[in-house]
Amino acid sequence: MVVAIPGDADALLPPIATSQVGAQIADLLFPRLAALTHELNTVDDSGFVPVLAERWERRDSLTIAFHLDPRGRWRDGVPITAGDVVFSHEVYSDPAVGSPYRANLSRVVRVSAESEHVAVVRFSGWYPEQLYDVAHYLRVLPRHLLDSVPRASLASSRFAREPIGSGPFRFVRWRPGELIEVEADTTWFRGRPRLDRIVFRVLPDVPAAVTALLAGEADAMEVIPQRDELERVRRDTTVRLVPYPSPFVAGVAFNLRRPQFAERELRRALAMATDRATIVRSLFGEWGEVPPGATSRMQWISQSDVRQLPFDTAAAARLLDSLGWRDGNSDGVRERAGRPLRFTLLVPTTSRLRQEGAVLLQAQWRRIGVDLRVRAVDFPVFDRETRAGNFDAAFFSRTLDPSPASIAQYFGTAGIGGDNIGAWSDPAFDSLVAAATSARTREQALPRWRAALERLNDEAAAIHIYAPRNHAAIARRITNVTIRPDYWLATVESWGRATDASSRGH
Amino acid sequence: MARFALRRLLHASATVLLAVTLAFVLAHAAPGEPMLADAERLRADAGTVARLREDFGLDRPLWTQYALWLANVARGDLGQSFTTRRPVAELLLERIPPTLLLTVSALALAVVSGVTLGTLQAARAGTALDGLLGAATTIAHSIPVFWLGLLLLLVFGQQLGWLPLGGMSSPLAESTMGAMERVWDVLRHLVLPGLTLALVQAATFARHQRSAVLDALGEDFVRAARARGVGEARALLRHALRASLAPTITLAGMAVPALLAGTVLVETVFGWPGMGRLTADAIAARDYNVLQAVALVAGVAAALGTLAADLSLAALDPRHRK
Repeated sequence: MVVAIPGDADALLPPIATSQVGAQIADLLFPRLAALTHELNTVDDSGFVPVLAERWERRDSLTIAFHLDPRGRWRDGVPITAGDVVFSHEVYSDPAVGSPYRANLSRVVRVSAESEHVAVVRFSGWYPEQLYDVAHYLRVLPRHLLDSVPRASLASSRFAREPIGSGPFRFVRWRPGELIEVEADTTWFRGRPRLDRIVFRVLPDVPAAVTALLAGEADAMEVIPQRDELERVRRDTTVRLVPYPSPFVAGVAFNLRRPQFAERELRRALAMATDRATIVRSLFGEWGEVPPGATSRMQWISQSDVRQLPFDTAAAARLLDSLGWRDGNSDGVRERAGRPLRFTLLVPTTSRLRQEGAVLLQAQWRRIGVDLRVRAVDFPVFDRETRAGNFDAAFFSRTLDPSPASIAQYFGTAGIGGDNIGAWSDPAFDSLVAAATSARTREQALPRWRAALERLNDEAAAIHIYAPRNHAAIARRITNVTIRPDYWLATVESWGRATDASSRGH
Repeated sequence: MARFALRRLLHASATVLLAVTLAFVLAHAAPGEPMLADAERLRADAGTVARLREDFGLDRPLWTQYALWLANVARGDLGQSFTTRRPVAELLLERIPPTLLLTVSALALAVVSGVTLGTLQAARAGTALDGLLGAATTIAHSIPVFWLGLLLLLVFGQQLGWLPLGGMSSPLAESTMGAMERVWDVLRHLVLPGLTLALVQAATFARHQRSAVLDALGEDFVRAARARGVGEARALLRHALRASLAPTITLAGMAVPALLAGTVLVETVFGWPGMGRLTADAIAARDYNVLQAVALVAGVAAALGTLAADLSLAALDPRHRK
């Protein structure tokens, strides 16, 4: 199978592979102790299935013992042991490695090897996502191959380019800027993958990738983000679109460091003046939807009936009037104390969708007397300015984790200086999130998350404008395709390839 | 000749130094920082960002960064890529061969086709054929290279399906191919990017070659040859063409920087895994170390191209040694 990818990988070593492609391929080579099921339930143990660990047990509220499957082997034949798990935690936690996943494992205080095949993980405190943090973020690395590599040099080591893993696929070759190839490990203890080989082929952009797909030069694409390209694929009979819940959500964040946006009613007025349904229709047609708030469809807390501010331009105008923003000189822009209601929306030039969305917003807000200026900048500039807080409003796009706790990173007080670019701080929201993340069951957590999301919507901390309906494009000759929303190749071991003759005309 | 060569070599070295200095200043003047801390991708905390900045020396004054870079280059160390954290020299070694294959093929194609067309135009000067070829070369010279690439891709790759749509090889079929089949496969992938890169240069060569041959045809030695009874074809090919090749050699040397610049767009359009693609990625990620190294390599290649042209010209005609 040839998978069209939008850019090259940065590395194939899990702790340092930060590019989407690098992380995805590393997933095939380095399996987890346990994997999420399709429900992506991150709080209950029942949401996980064994992979490298054949089972796990909770010794107490702070301890989980993982029993490794004794059949597990590294590709060089060496057995996978609890020592490897201990070593892996050391690597992830070492500041010299600079792993971006280090923070996700910050509540793991110790990992020890109880026996050759039992690794015991100890946490600093009880929380529902203990298993998720270890199972999802910690990949087991081969101690016998990496112990001698200085931690600071791991990223530039040969191993990061030519890894020896323990997964269903083994690394074959990497031709930089062109392709990365993996092949099925016929001895994988959980069963040989049905596809013999997967070649990840770097293609310059979405149209090029779609063209390659339609010409039969590629078999699969994770997602097609452009409406016209989706239409091209839909018209073709050799390729099918496979829908799956999206982890993306995009919208406008207000910078609360600006006194203007500290005013709650102004934010609410802007939210109510935003006709999100029209924006979604214009940008995506049927391929997108209005999100219910800060959550993504992929997350288990996603509920479409979460309370939101209505689209009501009359109410928005009344709110602005009540705040003293009036168009005194009839130029179409409201003023207060001689200052026009004008601000700038930062968008990255790399996103056509966000640029087009910004123009639509500009037109919509103009109708209630808001003069929105759009500033399109290169992505590194967008990144720097939002991180430094040098913006009025920013059109963000986020890929959310399966865990809803990631929402707290974007809007919690603790996230200020990091992902909380708007510096939104609300003790009520923080305590609602704290209550939700400490709920013992999914059923207890759901209403708490709903309350937190509704609080965000009521306060208009940001306006969540669109979420694409994700579709993978898969050649019809690829069979038995199922997609787990957080990682589209999670079940690729079970995908197969029909002969070209048998796939024709389906 | 030796003194001339030395003088040109010093000149070329100064040009390279100027090019890399300019590249350094421009790269750092561009807004945005290296994507060490891409918030959406890495979710790195402030401490990690600060440490990475320190590791890569980005917390130091600009002139210190530049001096350190120069000192490291003098020791043969081009630094580490900010994005892949691999040695830049390693990245370049992987990417130079595809770019070399592409540019050398394009240059050869441009020179051969440009010289042939220009000579044909000169031989048929004033005729409809001359006019037609003149119009064609003007159009080819004016077309933006990325647009030409997309057009060729659309017609020969997508519509007609004669040639591959991109990349440098057919990944799935490759493992079953013999050595000759692999060569053929790479050549098929080379056709469209090579043609795209060559066409614009070929137009330039053709236009220069036309005027050079026309000039030569009016020279005394050609008239003398004709007076000796040499046929028109022989006068053209044996005498005028030979004399007109000197400016073409210079032009070929001068074309190297233009071709290298063209690879950034062509390799991006065709997914060719060379230095041009590496440059485009490095620009997007503000990977200063890679950009500096690319500027150095491109500067050296351009200087060598010009130097080779100067030396060839001086060897052919001693009057150019001044």
